[in-house]
Formats: sequence, C-alpha cells, structure tokens
Amino acid sequence: MSPPPDRPEILDSDHLSARTREILTSRLSVTEALPRTLSLQAYAVLDALLPVLLPLDEILPPGTDISMTARIDAALSGPRDGWRFADLPPDAQAWEAALLTLDDATFAQHGLRFIHLAPDLRGTMLDALMAGQIGLDREGRLTAPQMKRWAGDLRGEVVDCVMSDPRIQQALGISSSLTGGDTVFQGFKNVGPDSREDFEPQAIAPLTNMADATQ
Amino acid sequence: MSSTSVMKTFAETDIVDTLIIGSGAGGAPLAAELARNGKSVVVLEAGPAFTAMGHTPDEVAARELYWLHERLSAGTNPQAFGGNNSGTGLGGSLLHYGAFMPRMDARDFHLHTETGKGVDWPFGLDELLPYIERVESFIGVSGPAHYPWDPSRRYAYAPPPANSAALKMRDGCDALGLRHADGPAALITRDIEQPHFGTRHGCANCGACHQGCRNGAKSGADNTWLPMAVAHGAELRPGCFAHTIERDSSGRVTGVVYRQNGVEHRQKCATLVLAAGAVETPRLLLTNGLANSSGQVGQNYMTHVSTQVWGEFDEDIRPNRGYPSLTITEDMMRPKDADFVGGYLVQSLGMMPATWGQNLARSTTTRGPAFARALAGYNRSAGMGINGECLPRPENRVTLSDEKDAFGIPKPLIEHSYGPNEWAMHYHAARLLTQMWEAVGAKDIRVIDRAAHMIGTCRMGTDAGSNVVDPEGRSFDIDNLWISDHSIFPSAAAANPALAIMALSLRTADAMLKA
Repeated sequence: MSPPPDRPEILDSDHLSARTREILTSRLSVTEALPRTLSLQAYAVLDALLPVLLPLDEILPPGTDISMTARIDAALSGPRDGWRFADLPPDAQAWEAALLTLDDATFAQHGLRFIHLAPDLRGTMLDALMAGQIGLDREGRLTAPQMKRWAGDLRGEVVDCVMSDPRIQQALGISSSLTGGDTVFQGFKNVGPDSREDFEPQAIAPLTNMADATQ
Repeated sequence: MSSTSVMKTFAETDIVDTLIIGSGAGGAPLAAELARNGKSVVVLEAGPAFTAMGHTPDEVAARELYWLHERLSAGTNPQAFGGNNSGTGLGGSLLHYGAFMPRMDARDFHLHTETGKGVDWPFGLDELLPYIERVESFIGVSGPAHYPWDPSRRYAYAPPPANSAALKMRDGCDALGLRHADGPAALITRDIEQPHFGTRHGCANCGACHQGCRNGAKSGADNTWLPMAVAHGAELRPGCFAHTIERDSSGRVTGVVYRQNGVEHRQKCATLVLAAGAVETPRLLLTNGLANSSGQVGQNYMTHVSTQVWGEFDEDIRPNRGYPSLTITEDMMRPKDADFVGGYLVQSLGMMPATWGQNLARSTTTRGPAFARALAGYNRSAGMGINGECLPRPENRVTLSDEKDAFGIPKPLIEHSYGPNEWAMHYHAARLLTQMWEAVGAKDIRVIDRAAHMIGTCRMGTDAGSNVVDPEGRSFDIDNLWISDHSIFPSAAAANPALAIMALSLRTADAMLKA
C-alpha cells in the first residue's frame, strides 16, 4: 500500500472532463487566511468538532489534511442548494448560532470552552446535541429541537465536503467522477460486481482493506 | 439545449397565442404540440440554457440543475429537498431526474372508489394511455421485451445492462418469490437521430443521470420536445423569472411580467399556461391572488413515500456505475398483507457518493470512526427504494412564508407530515426490503425514512368548489389560464410523476387546440 500522491491520480485520467477536473482540483488548495462566513469563535468550535464527528485518519494517509473547516466555512457563503428547514434561520446564521450554542452549553456544563474539552467529552457533547439535549432559549442561539435539526445539516454538509474531495475518492477507490472525457465519453463497460475497470481507482484506505481482500 | 433550427423570436408587444411559464415535463410537450399546430408560443424559463457536454458528475457543482430560490421545509416530516428539489434550466427537472419511467397503475386513478380514501382522478388510465404511448414513443423509453405486470406493453429500446444493485435486487426478489423485471427507463440504448435535435448517443452506463446526461441518452425535454417546439416556431427564453400575472378589467390574463438580467420585461399573451411545478405554480397564483375561488391553491401537497434500504456486500459493488435504478417489482402495488391503501413500486438503487452519503448522514447519528467506516463502505453498498402512494392531507400544503426572496416575493413554505397510511407503508416496505437484503447476504442493513417528489397543490377535478382546474387543466376562475404540471394531480399515485406529467401536457394541449 502506498499513500496517494499530493495530486490524486484520478485527476490525470482521460475519463475526466476538463470541467470536472477543474472543479476537483480547486478543492486541493484552500487559500483562505480568515473565516469567510463564521466568526473566529464559531470557526474554532467547528474545527474542534469535525474530527470528533468524522475522523479521516483511517481513510487518508497520515499528514493529509483536506481543510474541511475552511471549505465548509467557504461553502456556507457560496451557492446553497435551494432549501432549508423552516424552523432554522438562514444557513450562515444557523451555523454561527449553533456553534456558539454548543460552546456556551459546554462552558455551562464543564466550565471550559468547547475547544479546550478533551476529545471524548467533545464526543459526548455532540451525542447530546444530536439527541436534542443541548440548546439555549435566547437571542442568537438555537433551542434544543433546533440544534437537533441543525445536526442533520451539519452531517450532510460534512459528507458533501468529504465525498466530493478527489483525495477521498482516490483513497476509497471511488470512480464516480470518471464518467467520461470531453472528446470520448467512455462511461463504464463493466457495471456488475467485482469488475473494476483498469482506469478506475483501487481503494488504498486502511478502512477498505476488507473490500480489497475479496478482489 | 441545442436545436438544428434557427429560433424565431417575438416582440414583447406581440400578443402571443400562448405564453408558458416553465420548460420542463409540464411545459415542453405542450409547447411543442401547440407550435406544431401553428400557434405562436413563448416559453419563459427561470434557469439558464445548459449544454449537455458541460454537465459534470460532481454532485456539489451539479446543484446548478436544482431550483435555487430558497424554499422553507416544515411539518413533522420536512422534506430534505436537495437532489429531490425541482429543476431549473431549459428542460426543467428532467435535466436531473432519474428517468425511471413506470406507467401509472390503472387502480391508482380510482383510489377513493376502491378504498374510500384518497381522491379519484376525473378519468381513468384508458383516457391517458394514448398520450402515455405517444410520450414513450417520441422521447425514447427502454424496457424489457416482456413486462410481467402488463404483457401487452412494448418498449422501443432494449434495457441498459443491469448494474450490481439491479442484480442483487433480482436475487432478493427470487429469494422471496417476487416477480421482477428490467424497469422502464427514459433513455435510449442505441444511437439515433432525434428530429430537430441531432444525434443522441446510446447510454454509456456512466451512472450520473441525476447530474445531467452528457451524451443525450437520457430522454429529457432539452433533447426532444424543446427542439421540436423551436422547429415549429416557438421561442424559448431562458433566464426569465416570471412574477406578476397581469389581467384586464374582466379578469382575463393579458400578460406576464418577468425579470431577465435584472431588468423587468412584459410579454403579452392571449393564453397563459403555468407549468412551474407543485411549488412555484401555486406560489405564483398565491402571490398574484388568482384562480383561488375554491381556496384549494397550495392545498393537498403530496409526495411519494420513498423509503430506502441499503446494505453492504462482500463484493466490489461500485454503486456509481450503470443506470442507477434498473430492476423493478410491481408486486407491492396491492400487497395482500397491506395495512394501508394504495401501493408502492420497488426499484434497485445505485447512487453517486455524496448523495448516498447525505442519505446515510441524515438518517443516522453515528459518529467518530464508525461514521468513517460507514462512508468507507460506499463501494460495497447497494440499495433498494420505493415510490408509494401518499394521501392528500389538509395539513400538507404550500403557503407563502413571511420571508421575502431577492425579488421581494414571499418564499414558499412547504409543510409535509406523514399520516398513518404513509407510516404503515413505510414500515411495510422497510420490513420487506430488509428481508430481501438479508436473504442475499447483505450486512449493515440501514433503513432510510424519506419522501420524494412534489405533487398536488392545484387539484384537477369536475367540481369548481373543490378544485382549481377542470379535468383538462383549465382554471375554473379564469378561462384563458391553464395549468400543466404535477400540481394538478388529484392523488399522488405510486409511479414516478414525469410520464404522467408529459402525457397530461399533451392532453391539455389537445384541449387548448379545441377550445
């Protein structure tokens, strides 16, 4: 097993259109120096929350950082997908309020800010949040039912960020971006089980060893 | 959208015979049919004109195909619209639809007569069938040589190859003694010359139907009805957001005000057709205070019960490959052990990774390494899903919220809650599909409770007191206003709505030509 290069091999495939290549490549470099959407406090809470929600160390090689926090923060100021839960404020506002609610609730419960909490306690706070047990009934914060609702948005946003990253796709052996090039639209010849085509990536993430062993 | 014809254009001062708002499954067939019969037609489309080869399988970027004006989702089962939202762009939702094209079951037209629940359509399958067959023949639909639930049916194109999920579902059906077949799919499996459009290539099994078909294999409006409409003199205007419907002193529609590139325009018309879907059509009527003497505009919002069950297999499944939803069983259209009315269709499910991950993320609260392991199981995953009847309920509706959008128009509020019938169907399907997956060795089986599609809100019927439009789609209140989209469906039925929308669109065009 070898770690993926800085530039995932799928980006150089002729089964990728120029537009898709450009979209995927743009995710490799995040140049934001400061948060674009969230306050510094909320951004720090998100940064401390993400590894507890979805650790990527068993998927990506050591040292690989896909800048999830920065990309999610930027995405919140970009084009959204045309809907939101009516019981939450607009997305950017909801995320700011939710993260500050989590921080305040943590302080009330543990006497520490969320970023200073040990990882296992951060996990416990996240579980309570998802169970609808954390919330604050005051201006600029979210109630417990709103926090529970927001947890779905949080999870969805994280998955969008992760599954659309070319390094993750390479590591998990996902060929979904390789639908066809610009001059030849190849598609897939093989579509049944255990029939990976040569141009499709093979999983290299430790978590996917089981699947590889069966091939 | 491309066409082999040069598009005719109209002046805003011209009084066009028919102005259509929306260029998808509701607006496009009607535009083509009216233009073909010599009518002057202008189609206003809020979204852009996309190029097929410009579509990208990247799911985040492909959101450009969704309706992006914010909708507010409420109720005890608020819909997570995302990829199930309406579409935008010339071709409408057909740009991102899954192309699964079952016909409506004859019994679903008469659910109330059959069960005492739900609502009957004002006509039966016999009335719609000729239009259904015209749609299938014109746009191109693939299917099996023998369809077990309707042996007389024929499809012009052979099915695409069965992908991993389709093969696994066949095994699951066999294990439980259910019939199965390759389902009807609105895609072509060999190259053809589409009249007025040009070459459409056979399906390449790329699996990205929901992100926009890049080679013209998927049968949408952009590569069928719209080029035909243009060839017969219709004008398509993308980037035009219609917001105001103007009327004369007698109350008849005289034209529509729309915004294009930040500038207000007005198009005069003799007849107006709303084909903007089950949210935007009632929103337009409600903001303009029109056609609502029945009080039914926005009421009876319906979806489909769209429970999914996913499992992991030992093999390398690669669920992004191949047509996503090939295997079908219609054996659950009236199951003997049902504790609900109506029925559901079952289809196999492949899926693109972010969409799959979203469903997983929103339906569980797993976190930490377990969440990572679940996502890492993508390439071993196969799914099945249903589309089932959803009864009209008074609490489910589209209304105007207190929030305004960028145009200063109230954002729509969509309230959606399951009733006992929807929950009973969900649990029935969850049990059955879990049994099927267990029977073929799936592990880590996950049930996802979800609803899909947007139906109802401008009901069609014979009684002006309880319906918005008559059985041909014409407003009871304004005689030169028609509606042609899924808002007029009296009941949801189980079948995916696109085929019936297109068939009704042709039928309404016939009625308009006779009017």
